[in-house]
Amino acid sequence: MKDIVRHLNKVRWGVLTIIFAMLILLPFLHLYQSYEAAHAYDLLAPSEKSIYDSMEWLTKPFVKDPEVELNELKGTTWSGTLFGLKMSDPLAVVGQIAAGKNIYWPFLLTALIPILLTVVFGRFFCGWICPATFIYELNDNLAAWMRKAGLPVSKHKLDKRLKYFVLAAGIIISAATGMIAFATMYPPAIIGREIYYSIALTGFGTGMVFFLLTLFFDLMVTRRGFCRYVCPGGALYSLLGWFRLVRIKRDVTQCNDCAKCNVVCQFGLDPLRDDFSQECNNCTACIAVCPTDALSFTLNIKDVPFQGPGHLGHKHKRDEA
Amino acid sequence: MKRRTFVKALAATGVSALLADNVLAAKNNPSLRFLRPPGSLTEDDFISRCIRCGKCGEVCPNRCIKYFGFENGTSSLDTPYITPREQACILCMKCGDACPTGAIKPVEREMQPILDNVQMGKARVDVNLCLSFQGKTCGVCYRACPLQDVAIRTGMLEQPHVLEGCVGCGLCERSCIQIPQAIKIIPDHTRQQLRT
Repeated sequence: MKDIVRHLNKVRWGVLTIIFAMLILLPFLHLYQSYEAAHAYDLLAPSEKSIYDSMEWLTKPFVKDPEVELNELKGTTWSGTLFGLKMSDPLAVVGQIAAGKNIYWPFLLTALIPILLTVVFGRFFCGWICPATFIYELNDNLAAWMRKAGLPVSKHKLDKRLKYFVLAAGIIISAATGMIAFATMYPPAIIGREIYYSIALTGFGTGMVFFLLTLFFDLMVTRRGFCRYVCPGGALYSLLGWFRLVRIKRDVTQCNDCAKCNVVCQFGLDPLRDDFSQECNNCTACIAVCPTDALSFTLNIKDVPFQGPGHLGHKHKRDEA
Repeated sequence: MKRRTFVKALAATGVSALLADNVLAAKNNPSLRFLRPPGSLTEDDFISRCIRCGKCGEVCPNRCIKYFGFENGTSSLDTPYITPREQACILCMKCGDACPTGAIKPVEREMQPILDNVQMGKARVDVNLCLSFQGKTCGVCYRACPLQDVAIRTGMLEQPHVLEGCVGCGLCERSCIQIPQAIKIIPDHTRQQLRT
């Protein structure tokens, strides 16, 4: 069990990569479908033919009638169809209810599975699925390289509760203007959309400018700043996962106070002092880095209060002596 | 952030949002002629329902659904639209099935459900431009129409006459051989604005 948990961070990167690759693949599949629907292979341009051929090669083992069957795999993480099952982001549902001031039940039900998973796993979406996280984490690695090279990078801290304000303000703006404000400033929604625009339509849209600004914000102002302080989706998941069941716990008898977990935690949490709170996205980076296997998963609806310095560390030994 | 600051800032946001409503939700640019996908709700309801997921465009086999930038006001940012002269709707009704929020209603691909539920606009013939009205028999729009004799009929010299059944798919405008086109779709939301 311990061994598997230590490798979960790699599994998570695999999942993030697969989801991001799917977001790039789906627009090409859509192009393939539209060429297929036109029944005019001979009239395609050479570049279109190569798209058609490669997508045909890719999907031939799985589908017979691409025009119909490929419709079962559509959309983005904001709202998508996964093998015929429609799923939506809970934030989309909240925004739609606020903007339309009515509840459309078929849409609410599409968010049921994500809501249930969030209640059990907390902010797992932020660490395991969100396509923006994929870029933000790479961006954070870039910040680490820049710090090594002696360039100025992010080191400020803001108030974590700012994102709850953004969530509330977004709901109020949606209700006042009748448009879903979250859709235009929520990075996963932007990323999914912009990838589609850039591949299947004319090019990147306006959302990309906003996304690049958030990257710059992360790089220059605060580490993973958008996810930690601004993202309304993160705020909603934190609220839904306040009493989440699956948590990371520090085994105080194994801990040697090396503080590596605090360094790798991109959300700026404090595993060393048992402070995970509702912000933790179960990304398991701290578990993977821990040299003494002190961190692992547990089933509990509350964090343990600070258990004191780790028993293998100097401080504990000095206190005992 | 203290609770009091939080509530105060929230109230300020609400007030400013209400004040800036006209700017933020700047309604349609009247000079822009565009259609919403088939089966869409009326314009205001559509804006408040659409979550901008882009699935309607992703299932469109005809690739006629495009997305707004800022050209039609902030409120329609990233919402789907169709420019019939570039690529018209073939009424395949796949976007309604794909739409998760019901902003585009799911409509069965049969004659009667489409006539009842699809209201994208109405075609309008400019008799000064139309070739058939100038004695040169054409009739291309009639032949392009998927709802022949329900939406459009031809009179003498193939002169087109738009009937009540027109749903505004835009295939007639797409196929018109005149430049500029002699038959145009007047979008449903423009018709509503003109009526009021």
